[in-house]
Amino acid sequence: MKKKLHHFTVLLLALNLTCLSFGQDQTEEPITTFTQKPGLGFEYFSRTINWDEDEYNSKMKACIFSFNLGFEIQEGFYLAAILGYSFSNLDGLIFRQLPFSVELQVGKIGGFLLGGEIKKTLITLKDFEIGLIGQFVYFLGKTDTWSIEKLNVEASVDGKPTWMRVLAGPVLIYKGYDYFYPYIFANFNKLWGTFKMDEKVQQLSGSEDKKISGKGLYGISTGAIYEVTNSFSIKGEASFIPIQNGVDLGFVIKAVYSF
Amino acid sequence: MNKGKLLLLFFIIFIFSFSWSFQDVNHNKKKEAINYRLQQEGENIRYVNASYFSQIQSPEYTDGQVLVKFKSYFPEHKIEAAIASYRSKKLRKIPRINVYTIQIPEDITVEEMVFSLNQNPDVEYAEPNYKVYISITPNDRYFRDQYALSNTGQELIWIPGSPQGKPKADIKATSGWEETKGDKEVIIAVLDTGVDMLHPDIDEKVHSSGWDFVNNDFDATDDHWHGTHVSGIAAAETNNEIGIAGVAWECKILPVKVLDKNGEGDIEGVSNGIIWATDKGADVINMSFGGVTNLGKGNLPRTLQSALKDAYDKDVVLAAAAGNDGGDVNWPASSVYCLAVAATNYNDERVTFANTGGVWESNSGTEIDVAAPGEGILSLYPIELTPSGFTPYAYSDGTSMATAHVSGLAALLKSVKPWLTNRDIMDIIRYSAEDVNSDLDSGKDDFLGYGRIDLEIALVPLRITSSK
Repeated sequence: MKKKLHHFTVLLLALNLTCLSFGQDQTEEPITTFTQKPGLGFEYFSRTINWDEDEYNSKMKACIFSFNLGFEIQEGFYLAAILGYSFSNLDGLIFRQLPFSVELQVGKIGGFLLGGEIKKTLITLKDFEIGLIGQFVYFLGKTDTWSIEKLNVEASVDGKPTWMRVLAGPVLIYKGYDYFYPYIFANFNKLWGTFKMDEKVQQLSGSEDKKISGKGLYGISTGAIYEVTNSFSIKGEASFIPIQNGVDLGFVIKAVYSF
Repeated sequence: MNKGKLLLLFFIIFIFSFSWSFQDVNHNKKKEAINYRLQQEGENIRYVNASYFSQIQSPEYTDGQVLVKFKSYFPEHKIEAAIASYRSKKLRKIPRINVYTIQIPEDITVEEMVFSLNQNPDVEYAEPNYKVYISITPNDRYFRDQYALSNTGQELIWIPGSPQGKPKADIKATSGWEETKGDKEVIIAVLDTGVDMLHPDIDEKVHSSGWDFVNNDFDATDDHWHGTHVSGIAAAETNNEIGIAGVAWECKILPVKVLDKNGEGDIEGVSNGIIWATDKGADVINMSFGGVTNLGKGNLPRTLQSALKDAYDKDVVLAAAAGNDGGDVNWPASSVYCLAVAATNYNDERVTFANTGGVWESNSGTEIDVAAPGEGILSLYPIELTPSGFTPYAYSDGTSMATAHVSGLAALLKSVKPWLTNRDIMDIIRYSAEDVNSDLDSGKDDFLGYGRIDLEIALVPLRITSSK
């Protein structure tokens, strides 16, 4: 119930800000523009994940190299498609539904990443700008095969992770400096996925689809955009997701070219 | 109903209740007596079919040390002198609670020193430095003598020459128990000479009074010893501070008496027993016996084979002893429906005539699936049959004992993964075995099959670290 209330509050805030923006639109004509903003980004995050109906948890670490095909379709309204490659480390997951239980300790698993991003400026108050950011990414890990060493016969498992992440929330940007725009982004940050594992030991076989979900749903990110030239900017961001007995961390570095 | 009949009815109910409670009191008294007897120090344990006995003593506290706390008014600078007056030496102090660990003289026992210190009016209390163990190690008194479950290289004093076992030549029970200690719903049917259902180290683990196919009644009480011994290995009450630990802590035993007081039975009784146990919901059937016929190697009596197939088709794991005469694998172990179990010793070697002084040898053949410890195995002995001066525990040898370890593992697997079929469980037991004789015969061989069973590999998640 409490969880639902939180979601509702975030949604209400988003709607409220959007309404404010619409109100503004009625009085000020938006400036029609179309700017291509391709960018290259690198993101690292570490996230505590729950599994087996929240009975167990472990850490998931991911590195994302992405190409953002972005467009500013009108001033303050930005859309982007995200294409990339990611390495995800899900070590610590234990698969107990297989004939032989296995614990993943294989390090990073590569895979493609697809997604999209939307940014909308809602209101500008003197040196401050308030907007909304939404992002969705889908990681499609490649199937990898690992051998099970301790058995007296040949044995292997095939594993394939997939995960998704939704980020959404309001962003407050300070535009009082020239070329340098610090911001703070409060976000709803949901991560979930599945790790499919198939085991084959002679005529014995088994399969397990392990559901994973990121611990904590709300985070805060802070960073800054530095405009190196009129058409080239760099963004740095650190993110924090508070969880019970700790905090999950991440950071993003991104370079965007506008033309 | 008239008054007279009513009185008669009350009288009958009264007599019935009285006799019932009297029986209960008798049973409880008997159990109390048994428990008292078990608590006595220094009783002997029998080596069944052997001419030597051994003394078992399990230390519950650190030798030569006592913990003492002086009363708060007692000045600290006088404490060392006070300790010295007992010919003892201060070793350490536990801060904040001001408890001293003292070393006592060799000629005084811990109990004597504790008693003596507690008479001192300046002492708040004194007590032995009790030992604690990691939680997964059961507190059963003789656990440290069960090398089959946890071999630390301890001295095996009940075996002639008191050899030291090879560390880790065991079934890795303590590691396996970290994953599961079994499930009360999982039943191991022990087809044997029956079970001593009053033995305090198994009485709470017996699923029902079973069936006696020898005397054709519902009381499968053991009148030999073998069935009780085997049952104890598989699933004795564990972590109950007395006796031994069973492989499957929580699983239940279903006694099925198919062998008489001489340890003999026949195909009819055994086949009936298999079918009965299957119908009663057994998940595992332990058959620590065997027979030989002139049907030729690998051939079984058809009645027995049919009963085994029936149980196998109904998802029951069947484990059977290979035999102890150094010959071919006995039936029912030689059946394709059974796990055929050979025996290893405290050094992870196959038990042979050479290392038993010609007494017995684990049978061999292509049918052997796995092996388990079978030499010098400590387990339960029926109370009624225990001679005075001995505890109701005994050491024994044979592939019978080895088989019970395998049945215990099968029950643990069924407990932790109830969706597995009997075939899956049998394969897991095979493939997880440690190839302990790989220097002689690498891979599956006729002597130890796939190797000595390993609870850690079978139960605990295996770390996968490398790409294929």
